[in-house]
Amino acid sequence: MALPIKYNFRNIVVRKSSTLATAFTIGLTVGVYLMVMSLARGIDLTLTSSGEPLNLIVLREGSTAELNSTVSRENLNDLIYLDGVSREGDQPLAAPETVTLIYKARKGMSQGSNVVIRGVGPMSTKLRSGFRTIAGRTFQPGLTEAIVSKRISERFQGLDLGDKFRIQTTDYTVVGFFDAGGKAFESEIWVDGNSLASSTKRDSFSSVLLRTKDRTTLESLAKRISDDQRLHLKAVPEREFYEAQQGIASGLLKGLAIFIAFIMSVGAGFAGMNTMYAAVARRTKEIGTLRVLGFSRLSILAAFVLESVAIAVVGVGIGILLALPLNFVSTGTSNFATFSEIAFNFRVTPDLMLSALIFGAGIGFLGSLLPSIRASRFRIVDALRAS
Amino acid sequence: MKFSKLILKNILRNKRRTLLTISSLVVSLFLIITLATILTEFSRGSEQANPLRLVTRHAVSLGFVLPAAHQQRIASVPGVKQVMPFSWFGGIYKDEKNFFANFAVDASKMRDILTELKMSDGEWQSFINDRQGAVVGQKLVKLYGFSLGQRITLRSPIYDRSVEFIVRGICTGGDEKTLFFHHDYINELVPAWAKDKVSTFSILANSAADVPRISQAVDSLFINTDAPTKTESEREFAMSFETMMGGVKQFMYGIMAAITFSVLLVMGNTMAMTVRERTREVGMLKALGFQRGTIARLFVGEALLVTTLGALIGIGGALLLYKSVDLSLYVPNVQSFVPTGRTLLSAFGLAIFVGIISVIYSAYRVSGMTIAEALRSTE
Repeated sequence: MALPIKYNFRNIVVRKSSTLATAFTIGLTVGVYLMVMSLARGIDLTLTSSGEPLNLIVLREGSTAELNSTVSRENLNDLIYLDGVSREGDQPLAAPETVTLIYKARKGMSQGSNVVIRGVGPMSTKLRSGFRTIAGRTFQPGLTEAIVSKRISERFQGLDLGDKFRIQTTDYTVVGFFDAGGKAFESEIWVDGNSLASSTKRDSFSSVLLRTKDRTTLESLAKRISDDQRLHLKAVPEREFYEAQQGIASGLLKGLAIFIAFIMSVGAGFAGMNTMYAAVARRTKEIGTLRVLGFSRLSILAAFVLESVAIAVVGVGIGILLALPLNFVSTGTSNFATFSEIAFNFRVTPDLMLSALIFGAGIGFLGSLLPSIRASRFRIVDALRAS
Repeated sequence: MKFSKLILKNILRNKRRTLLTISSLVVSLFLIITLATILTEFSRGSEQANPLRLVTRHAVSLGFVLPAAHQQRIASVPGVKQVMPFSWFGGIYKDEKNFFANFAVDASKMRDILTELKMSDGEWQSFINDRQGAVVGQKLVKLYGFSLGQRITLRSPIYDRSVEFIVRGICTGGDEKTLFFHHDYINELVPAWAKDKVSTFSILANSAADVPRISQAVDSLFINTDAPTKTESEREFAMSFETMMGGVKQFMYGIMAAITFSVLLVMGNTMAMTVRERTREVGMLKALGFQRGTIARLFVGEALLVTTLGALIGIGGALLLYKSVDLSLYVPNVQSFVPTGRTLLSAFGLAIFVGIISVIYSAYRVSGMTIAEALRSTE
């Protein structure tokens, strides 16, 4: 026969300061875990959502990022007339793009980070869903004008509407803000590709983005470009290209989250054991009485485990409440793959909360096991005689 | 102090509780020390920067290169003692996982400018004499087993080249996970766009007073050229990398604060339970004539003893672990992973703080009870 839940509930309430302290300890552990994981999740979500399913990105063979890649103009002509490249009217859906970095100071600081400047072609926005201009206007082809991601303009100095920045000897004027539904290129500044080529005196492109007709052509075209010995290029599905960048930053964060959470949970588990041992000791007589009334050893054990898990679940609730305000808060760090700023949001997603719940309840369960076993092993006479 | 024996007896009364509490403190302090060490590593570059050194890069960003010819003009700036190319090569040894920094430098000037590097005269000489030569840091030797005379091939995705070097020296001091080689040698192998180009120049000033002047003078030399420069002290240059991390630093402080708070809760809970259980004893002590202050001090002493023990084990453990296992070998961009004295001292201070704060309320409450109240307690 199991003890009524009400019994556990009343016990938890009676020792409210001790219960709260234990719950808070578990809550802080879970909260810290969630916060670090939500940072990693934010980076992952930004990068995994960035590639379009039918886009191919073409880079120089052997390069690891757009920044150290070059695609010549001759190569571009070979690429755009390949079979399998989608067309709009008679125009191939292909965008040659040039990427470079500009060092900008963060707001309120004298130092900053590198921001990606992307010289784009007329098809660039058509090849990316979710792109929209949200203030001002877009740049005019041929002019030295720039549009800046809203998030980047909020994080760095001198990127407001009307501000100018210099590339080599050319000044660019910011004429508009854009957003892109949280994708990676929302961390960028966009300018006209031809203008950027003339101000950097660079005749080649960094990459070419191609829209393919369907899934199968995506794969066959990628293989065809990568295998062509004359081109010395490689073509990667855009999705895979961005997903591959996740690695270092979010991997380090996840490692950190697990390391911190593990150590904190050991600390919290010990604290939970203390609380449960005290609860068992204080209720020794009560346990004896319950046994006399006919409750089995197992139901005593279950009652104490349940009580501890319940406290832990309250703790998880506290932890989630601590971490939740961070959800969608915008932040940024250096993308180690490109050494440039990547802006993203903290993301406290339901599956993270679920893992936090399992994690927290696990601490409560493991922490209660030894004290509960002890409680269930009391001999009735000894328990009743306890002071 | 005459009650120290009583305090010791008290913490041994519930050995299991004391053990659990101390263990909880130990792991938390260990974690705090670890995080604080990561934080100090973040800012090592700017903290240990040589005040006599400056770095010149392209004004737009490190994504642009500078003409090697800038070197002569920089050398002519008053106050400049030495200047050499210091170019990021981005070479990968066998696999991308084996990340370490590698720079093209001027071998004949390197010893004057990178004063922190220590190497025997013979090795310096054989590095200078061999165009294909390279100097590797001691930690690279530990990691990859490099030895003098060994041929190493690095593949650079930036320059799209694989280049072979011969190890001519093993250096200690500074970042021991770096490889240096001759700029002259690599300059002949790189593609046309990178020929006679340099990613940064490293400058040594005559005196610290010259540093700000040099920075201005160098930048004004090139301001209207195709390759304008930005010249900063080494400290500022290092800080520019540190701020790239964005809010990570504040975030880490937040985590450390959360851990501290949780230690406070754990300790506070333990002391609250301990004090409550001894309420009747307090009544007894009072009846025997013990003063309120003495009773409160007994409890504070008990809490301090527990946290001090926790701190000593946590600090000792962290020190022992990080001295015997060099984590810097495995974590990129970290030069060494040993907690500083300041970190350890702060951790100890934190433990004392937690010890006092955790017991203050309980001790105040119970020592203020009247004899009758305390004796009548049902705990």
